[in-house]
Amino acid sequence: MIECSHVYKKYKNGVNALYDINFKVEQGEFVYIIGPTGSGKSTLIKLLDGEEIATKGKVSVVGIDVGKLSHSKVPVYRRNIGVVFQDFKLLPSKTVFENIAYALEVINLPKSLIRRRVRSVMNLVGLDEKGNSFPRELSGGQQQRVAVARAIANRPKVLIADEPTGNLDPSMSDEVMNLLDKINREYGTTILMVTHDLTIVNKHRKRTVVLEHGHIVADLKEGGYVQHDQ
Amino acid sequence: MINRIWRPIKEGFLGVFRHGAMSVSAAVAVTLTLIIISLFMMFTMNVSQFTQGIEQSVQISAIVGYDHETAQEEDRISLAIQGIEGVDTVTYSSKADEFQYYLNSFSDEKTREAFKPFEGDNNPMHDAFYVTVKDGTALESVASQIAAIDGIDTVNFGGSSAITLISMLRSIRYGGGALALALSLLAIFLIQNTIKLTIMARADEIAIMRNVGARNGFIRAPFLVEGIIIGALGAVIPIILTWYGYTSAYNLTGGYLVSQMFKLIPPAQFLKNACWTILLIGVVVGLIGSFLSVTKYLRWKR
Repeated sequence: MIECSHVYKKYKNGVNALYDINFKVEQGEFVYIIGPTGSGKSTLIKLLDGEEIATKGKVSVVGIDVGKLSHSKVPVYRRNIGVVFQDFKLLPSKTVFENIAYALEVINLPKSLIRRRVRSVMNLVGLDEKGNSFPRELSGGQQQRVAVARAIANRPKVLIADEPTGNLDPSMSDEVMNLLDKINREYGTTILMVTHDLTIVNKHRKRTVVLEHGHIVADLKEGGYVQHDQ
Repeated sequence: MINRIWRPIKEGFLGVFRHGAMSVSAAVAVTLTLIIISLFMMFTMNVSQFTQGIEQSVQISAIVGYDHETAQEEDRISLAIQGIEGVDTVTYSSKADEFQYYLNSFSDEKTREAFKPFEGDNNPMHDAFYVTVKDGTALESVASQIAAIDGIDTVNFGGSSAITLISMLRSIRYGGGALALALSLLAIFLIQNTIKLTIMARADEIAIMRNVGARNGFIRAPFLVEGIIIGALGAVIPIILTWYGYTSAYNLTGGYLVSQMFKLIPPAQFLKNACWTILLIGVVVGLIGSFLSVTKYLRWKR
């Protein structure tokens, strides 16, 4: 599903973000990418969703070579993956319903199907009542659930979550984690979640890839994070 | 398919309302610009009308010598004048006509009586041709060519003062046109900047749309509709001002400036087109401004 082989990323300003990243995620897996701030987690996400291009190496998601996409093809590629961001990235001038529907309108689904789909994902994330609310009227946890709903509305094979619990308190974090778990189990969606929240990693154990200073320093199939020597 | 046309239109209207304050500020920029353009348009079109009017009214009088007054000779002269390049119309006026015209220029009967003895065979007037030219600047050269024709005694035209007036109006017209063009370009730049500001606030929105899989065209379309709406809204006040302003200016001046020579274009003939033009400029400027701005922010992130 996701494959990085010998991926290097050096930004134009000279910052080296990633060195020789190699890993593979199979269909239906749930993988954490963890590491401290500045370890290259966000860069990895940007390479996967097409916002940045690897300096060297190949990033391939659902069989598409992401680095080779033209500017106008990037959005089309993104229809295959759902992305959940730390800052939610909801459209502020659209209601919850419209935000979720937008991801379906762009792929030209018929209106009736869109309505059904949106209702079903809103039900899944537990926001049936909030369809007409604007994002600013919701709590952080609710906004993140809207973002998750939007990301999975068109049934992507891969869901990438960038610090989805980063702005949430522990109980809301658990809520979002349970939701992601459910999506992974029920839809068989491959999930790649970037986080630095060790409590979550240790509580909901999954395969864990550890990044440090742009290198993969561990790939723990059983999960649980062993603190490195500082 | 229908959805592809209606969605951007619906979204465009929604966008204007949901970003009300920004829409208003962009529309105000359009309004101010269009008022300036409208003023220049009215000015240059009227100057152009003056110039044309004066050019057409200036004519050359060619006076036939006494010894060339036979019908045969005058036919030859008439043909010769018509053959000159730049000549528009040639009108013949006999010495009897000329005398009558001269007599009529006196208002009191006594003076007219005094001239009675000169009627008929004693008529001291000449036969004459009145020549109008197609292009006012050709006045002098046409006049000198007519003077060279055998049988023409003297040639009269307004002289250098007529030519100066025509060329002066001409440069006012061209200068005004150039200034209007320059101002319009400046205005388009200003409007584009205002629209850019309103869209800049939504750069994140555009990036998010790309994040969830919207193609560039899909994102752009509603913004273009928004630009058109803003341009059209911005044109409303200038159109009203132009319509009522010009009509009342026309009525106030009685239809001319200073003298009958500077006749204003009647409102009925001019305002409808002028208002459509203002609307069109508003819409096109809004459209172009939006297009440039959205394109810029589409490129902002991959």
